Amino acid sequence: MPVPSKQEIIDIVKEHLMDNLEDMDDVEFDPDKSMKDMGANSLDIVEVVSCTMRDLKVKVPRAELSKLDNVTQLVDMLHATALEKEAAA
Amino acid sequence: MTDTVTMTSEDEGVVVMTMQDVPNRNAFTEPFVDRLLERFREASEDRENRVIILRGLEDIWCAGAHQDLLLELAEGDMDAGDILLSKALLDVPIPVIAAMEGHAIGGGLALALCCDVLIMARESRYGCSFMNMGFTPGMGITRLLQDAVGEYIAKEMMFGGQLFRGTHFESRSGVNYVLRKSKVFWKAQQLARRMAEKPRFALETLKGDLSIRQRQAFELTRTRESHMHRLCFGRPETAARIRENYTKPT
Repeated sequence: MPVPSKQEIIDIVKEHLMDNLEDMDDVEFDPDKSMKDMGANSLDIVEVVSCTMRDLKVKVPRAELSKLDNVTQLVDMLHATALEKEAAA
Repeated sequence: MTDTVTMTSEDEGVVVMTMQDVPNRNAFTEPFVDRLLERFREASEDRENRVIILRGLEDIWCAGAHQDLLLELAEGDMDAGDILLSKALLDVPIPVIAAMEGHAIGGGLALALCCDVLIMARESRYGCSFMNMGFTPGMGITRLLQDAVGEYIAKEMMFGGQLFRGTHFESRSGVNYVLRKSKVFWKAQQLARRMAEKPRFALETLKGDLSIRQRQAFELTRTRESHMHRLCFGRPETAARIRENYTKPT
């Protein structure tokens, strides 16, 4: 599987966020915001991130994830991890 | 030091038991389990009590076993003391309403399933995280969950380990109510007041009968669950999985 672009990863995160928060319909998805700011609670975020990592076939330790402030930073980290994984393969 | 499990009574015959171990986010540590056992006993013995509402913190009802406790299980041959909780709660002689405003995960969900009435919050999450950490479910949940949500949804939850929003259970389970978080406790009070009008001897008699199914389910599973735990906790990778995949609601 080729490494998805950052935009494609944003779309994956968005899809899982929408799937996990059906009341997201009236919230505008903004990658510069944190998921918490968009109405997600801590366990919503755990689900969204683990589903996204599963789709991308990458795994980022939780300690690293906890340092992130918004969706863009998450996407950057997932994208970089996917590239590293591809380079190592 | 603040009490990790408080008991108050505003309505006659209704006792509100609140799990509030804030530093440990209502995860089972040995002192917290001991305190809960003590409170179940106290609430049962007071003949004035006719209904219990079991409440948690606003965002977390109960997180199940504490990570440290799971690591001890994985690294040694310590017995899972939380198994006693299921039994003790099932043995409470009066109805117990689980008012789950916050999340209930793993053993926390098992605790809820030992109650008589379940009220979930639409916004909170409920699930069986055991297998995420590489070991099989415990506290009687392998059978109790099937009775609550149906065989196939229970299997999905136990194999997959996902945490579902309360809304997921609205139309596909035997959970009594799935409400906005702000209405969960209110509804529990309404139900409790209604039940508390009934005489204790009749409530006790009916509880003894209606809980047979849960108690049988629990007795059927405890030996098998312990056997599966011995297999899983004996594996070297389990401790690493517990460290990496433990879900700690923040």
